[in-house]
Amino acid sequence: MVRAALSPPRRIGQGPSPIAAYVPAATVVAASFLAALPIVSTSGWYPDFGYLVFIGWRLLRADPWPAWWAAALGFVNDLFTGYPVGFSIALWSATMLGLDLIDRRTMWRDYWVEWILAAVLIAIDEWLQWRVARFIGAGPAFVRMVPALVISICIFPVIAWVVSRIDARRLGR
Amino acid sequence: MATARPGWSRRAQYGLFFSFLAVIAGIILGLILLALSLVAPSSFESVRGAALDVTGPVAGALREVTDTVEGIVTGADNYWDAASQNAQLKRQNRAMLQRMVEAKAILQENQQLKATLQLRQHERTTIATGRIVGSSFNSPRRFAILSAGTSDGVRISMPVRSADGLVGRIIDAGALASRVLLVSDRANIIPARLLRNGIAVIAQGRGDGTIDVRPLEVGRNPFKRGDIIITSGTGGLYPPLVPIGRVVKLDDDGAVALPLADPSNTSFAIVEPPFEPAAIAVESARSDIPGTP
Repeated sequence: MVRAALSPPRRIGQGPSPIAAYVPAATVVAASFLAALPIVSTSGWYPDFGYLVFIGWRLLRADPWPAWWAAALGFVNDLFTGYPVGFSIALWSATMLGLDLIDRRTMWRDYWVEWILAAVLIAIDEWLQWRVARFIGAGPAFVRMVPALVISICIFPVIAWVVSRIDARRLGR
Repeated sequence: MATARPGWSRRAQYGLFFSFLAVIAGIILGLILLALSLVAPSSFESVRGAALDVTGPVAGALREVTDTVEGIVTGADNYWDAASQNAQLKRQNRAMLQRMVEAKAILQENQQLKATLQLRQHERTTIATGRIVGSSFNSPRRFAILSAGTSDGVRISMPVRSADGLVGRIIDAGALASRVLLVSDRANIIPARLLRNGIAVIAQGRGDGTIDVRPLEVGRNPFKRGDIIITSGTGGLYPPLVPIGRVVKLDDDGAVALPLADPSNTSFAIVEPPFEPAAIAVESARSDIPGTP
């Protein structure tokens, strides 16, 4: 059965919004911009919102944006969050590639599989951030990264829900 | 590019293949840029500065809003117990006046003593004053965003301090805002000494809001709980006699200190010129300052 058959009947004149193709990328940029929140913290336990929304969209749909946009979105994230330029470009492109390869292998998907996938990706993100900081000579003990990791993994279902609501709205469902 | 083969359409197959190539190109580009920004930190100065000009003012505006809300709440709180507070403040005021007179006398004596010793007094100039409006709250690095930029005269590697103590140094500068490497970042290593007995120590951030302090001479642990660590002025970047932190915990050969200038409730931060620019020029000619992204 097609998924659309499950949804309530549509009203005439209701359809995708004219900017539907750009909404996913715009929400990722907006999430990266959360780095401008006036939070002054002396320990880094906040989630990497840009990456969470990015994988939220990619797990919901195979083609939220053309694949090469990942590099551009990563560049914007690097600039807003103050990561070394190139970090998110490489990681986000690699995420697109990795999830495509995983899509070919997985037989079935449900919420648990998606959450586990997201948890693994978030862990890779945090670990790489820690590696890069360590390379510069600025890496704290890895134990310090664990709170950020746990919070990111716990908050992912909320992000995924928000992303699915935005998706339904942009497609006029 | 979800399925292995999108049907018999040549166009769709090529599209899939080229998007695959584009992603791989993205990964390679990202790795090259990352290597460049790790090895040569100054290569993205201008573009990072421009991004700060976008985020800095937004953070500043939002900060105003949160401060106003906090102000209303604490303002109402102040009215609650006004009479006893008033009496207490009057008492404090009298005590402070006495202390001030004593301090003035000491200052005069100090000036006379310095004149007799003919010490060269460094003129403390202020380049700019800004507010700390944001921070790197989602990474292992410890940065803060300061609401003053190159249009105020701020340049990269200038020291930043507040009334309470040392905050850090500038590592990215946009026209309107700049990024500060806090003293609690691990890449920030500060030549310092103990206020109590002048023993030379090294202060290095721990990445979690505290500072690691180690004596320069290995041997007996010179620290006591409650010791104040101040900058020594060695190296020429940070001015001397600026308080850095207070020792809260001892370990085997050093101690852990808490920064005295807490960036989360520092109202104003002052950007000063490098203490001895000539010394830094020599240093940076020898090697680039490490730790800046």
